Amino acid sequence: MNIKTIVAAAAITLGLTASALAADEIVIGASIPLSGPLAGFGAYMQWGYQTAVNDVNKAGGIAVDGKKKQVKLVIRDDKTDSNVTASNTETLISRDEAVAMLGSCTPALVNAGALVAERRKVPLVTGCAPLQAFKSVRPWKYAWALFFDEGDLGNAPFKMLAEMGLKTNKKIAILHDNGPDGQVVGGQIWPAAAKAGGYSVVRSSSFPIDSQQFTSMIAQAKSSDADIALVAAIPPQAIAMRKQMASAGYTPKILVMEKGAEPEAFAQASGALADGVLVGGYWDPSFPYPGAADLAKRFESETKQTQSQHIADSHAAAQVLLDAIAAAGSTDREKINAAIAKTDKTYVVGPVKFDAAHSSRLPITMMQWQSGKSVVVWPKDRANGKLIFPLPAAK
Amino acid sequence: MPNLDVLTSTLASGFLLGGILALIALGLSIALGVMRLVNLAHGELLVCGAYLSYFLLSQFDVDPISGLLVVGALMALIALPFQRLLIAPLSGKGMEAPMMTMFGVSIILQNLLLLGFSADTRTLEAPYAASPVSLGPVTVPQIYLIGFAISVVLVVLVHQLVTRTGFGRELRASSADPTAAAAMGVDVRRVHALTFALGAACAAMGGVLIGTAFSFTPSTGATYLLTSFAVVVLSGVGNIFGTLLAGIAMGLLQSVGALAFGDGYRDFVGLVLFLLVLAFRPQGITSTGGR
Amino acid sequence: MASMVDNKLAVAPTRSGGLVGGASAWLLPCLILALALAPPLMSNYALDIGFRLLLLITLAEAWNLLAGYGGLVSLGTASFVGVGAYTLTGLVNQWGLPFALAIPVAGLSAVLLAVIVSPAVFRLRGLYFTVGTLALAEALRMFMVNNSVFGGATGLFLAIDPPGVKGLYWFALGLFAVTTLAMTVATRSRFSILLRTVRDDEDAAAQIGVRPFRIKLIAFALASFLMGMAGALQGMKLGAVEPYGMFGIQWTVAVLSIVIIGGQGLRVGPIVGAIFVVAMAELLADYPALNLALTGLILILVIRFAPKGLVGLALRKTRGAK
Repeated sequence: MNIKTIVAAAAITLGLTASALAADEIVIGASIPLSGPLAGFGAYMQWGYQTAVNDVNKAGGIAVDGKKKQVKLVIRDDKTDSNVTASNTETLISRDEAVAMLGSCTPALVNAGALVAERRKVPLVTGCAPLQAFKSVRPWKYAWALFFDEGDLGNAPFKMLAEMGLKTNKKIAILHDNGPDGQVVGGQIWPAAAKAGGYSVVRSSSFPIDSQQFTSMIAQAKSSDADIALVAAIPPQAIAMRKQMASAGYTPKILVMEKGAEPEAFAQASGALADGVLVGGYWDPSFPYPGAADLAKRFESETKQTQSQHIADSHAAAQVLLDAIAAAGSTDREKINAAIAKTDKTYVVGPVKFDAAHSSRLPITMMQWQSGKSVVVWPKDRANGKLIFPLPAAK
Repeated sequence: MPNLDVLTSTLASGFLLGGILALIALGLSIALGVMRLVNLAHGELLVCGAYLSYFLLSQFDVDPISGLLVVGALMALIALPFQRLLIAPLSGKGMEAPMMTMFGVSIILQNLLLLGFSADTRTLEAPYAASPVSLGPVTVPQIYLIGFAISVVLVVLVHQLVTRTGFGRELRASSADPTAAAAMGVDVRRVHALTFALGAACAAMGGVLIGTAFSFTPSTGATYLLTSFAVVVLSGVGNIFGTLLAGIAMGLLQSVGALAFGDGYRDFVGLVLFLLVLAFRPQGITSTGGR
Repeated sequence: MASMVDNKLAVAPTRSGGLVGGASAWLLPCLILALALAPPLMSNYALDIGFRLLLLITLAEAWNLLAGYGGLVSLGTASFVGVGAYTLTGLVNQWGLPFALAIPVAGLSAVLLAVIVSPAVFRLRGLYFTVGTLALAEALRMFMVNNSVFGGATGLFLAIDPPGVKGLYWFALGLFAVTTLAMTVATRSRFSILLRTVRDDEDAAAQIGVRPFRIKLIAFALASFLMGMAGALQGMKLGAVEPYGMFGIQWTVAVLSIVIIGGQGLRVGPIVGAIFVVAMAELLADYPALNLALTGLILILVIRFAPKGLVGLALRKTRGAK
């Protein structure tokens, strides 16, 4: 009996080749973190990707080989585990016969999926992978990234300080996580920009992504009297750190919290403590890009949550892919890949055009939380509010 | 060499935080000592406590500290059926089955929290949650001071419970020799259930303190699981005051480690210490032998 | 303290008739043959599933040897997987070793880790051993994350492209064959008796002249060798290794779940468990919210109602039917 059970089970498993696909659908796959620590990002991405696909389908679909076909987006949860991203990508390509992929988020996951797609010669577009980290993996042939460059992100605060002539004691404390982009921004770009701008880095500390306590480094930053604190950390850590700074009585004049202060959750969780915190951003509904304000409104009315930049980059990434399929007029992966290379259009997130390294840069702006609202304060031509300087002291 | 202010403040903070770590570890220690239960869902119970408090705060405006005992009681109530349904039937079948069951519970709890509260990072807001307290050169977060005081009180209360009440007697009897205790008329199953509930309550209350001092998401629990184990082993399983001492020692050591090597090594230092103690004195540094 | 040592968890390997007895002597080689002949019929998807399955079975068998047969419930699986993966990447990148050679060498590096930590962990009994291995695994992961020598949180990238899905499948099948052979030898030779003796009562075993440390070390070394090679294969498949993915607790958890669900201390437990877990993961992958919660629920149900796993349940039914 056991023999039969095992053989039957094995047969079922090995025979799981059946794919319930309608022949006249274009399948796109996406493996994103819908659970685990990055589930927040996954939720935005799911909305962005699905909305783009829905819009295309409502307009009649994409014309391929002369016939209009609907697009089917197949999403799998990679549980914030790069092993699962790799397996999911393989499954989406083999079983679901995805003609192209949309990427996950953060370098570890994006790389895992992109490497599989690359090997299987399947085009993959990601809107959630910092460009230097993306480019440092290998010269890509089938993976494409639109996002910000860590250099722009790192230099933005310094540019802002210079342009607005903000007065500080020019002492900087750097607190960064040791993930790929944290290392680059906090370990290389900020120190270099500081040096170039005549600032002195009086304190530099790094920590892993799952740390919760930062009391030592905050105490040291405080005692080193730094007027400027540059932090690179993910939201849970940024929130904890902001709290611990207040608990330690450390109030720098300028507080930049890259990545971590970006989502609405930061402002919600930090309350009054969020006021004055600066973060580099690449999108705001007020930007003069087609459909920007509408996208935010749609998201908020459909999900009853506050908008995030990530709806824009994921929506745009999906649109880039869909436009490429339409331009290629075919589900042949090579043709789609060639069409992506020719992308040159302004999407909801901004102008997208890929360079030889398959990356497309989104310009960085500095945003600041003011009374629970995210206000663009720099550069001048994008600003829709006034900078609060210095950081208000915790009451 | 960091300056004196930083050093003393860091040590003081570590000391105080250690008290909170002790409260968290206490729950684990009791369960381990009495029921031989390796509670792999301990971290999730902690986070549940934080979320419970968050719920009370956002819906009914209940201050985290004021609502602390309520959260503890609620958690105990929730934990009781868990124990009865899932763990009690597995008694006598070795340590592994209950351990894996609790592991399954931890997965379910994490996902329930995810469904109920989303993955957004939360934190418990209160006037004392993000303000410093200074005494001369020493500055510590106010919440650490409050948390320490509460933890010590709770630890003492639990100690009194275990050493001076009838229930405590039954608890000690059940942990020393369940068969003899049963022969003497102790309802061992009931003792186990209540012990588990007590452990869960301690974890939840510790979670409220953590949630007020830091931030939390559905997956935050895992970090505190190992630290709790380390404290438990340091102190010797089931040794209540030992847990307090071990927690404080852990807090101090972590702070020193963080100061010396960077905050990233904070947990690492704790783990290394844990391993050393395990290797050379598994019965714990503070215990006087036995068990 | 003696009450802490509670190793009588696993079912003793039976020699009765039926599956776990003489029948399995030819079942597994037949299975391997079938799997070897299957590829031309298999789609890429099936090959990928096959790869994952074989890898997980290898890990589960190794863990089963340690925990089921040896009573050493280790929560440190991830360490050996990670070491294997990183070593393979290093060997291929730095010394250009061909994959077929790098895999066993990576396995040996995992054995090295086992040998290094064994004097410390084998002092610990029962519960303390379990928690100690968990602490070690976490400490190693933290070290890898914080230390930039091995790439820190970014990790390392494989410089050479690994073989395609089919090639990976062959490697995995080879590993499975090696594992089957090793496990068969380990569970049928005198070693299994020695191991069982040590598991049941280490001190008594020492009294009658068995050397517990050596026996435990052999089991540990064998298990870690297999785990290291499995990690190496996973590293090959990903082409990128980083600490959260390779040293993360999900490996330990997966293996634990598989063996518990399948049946601990039973020869085919890992196989049945792995098939079940992978099949469920695939079926539920299209309904992400359900998957994780359901895995936890099933784990609990199996532990509660089928403590010897699915295989144990099946055995009970067959015996009951007689």
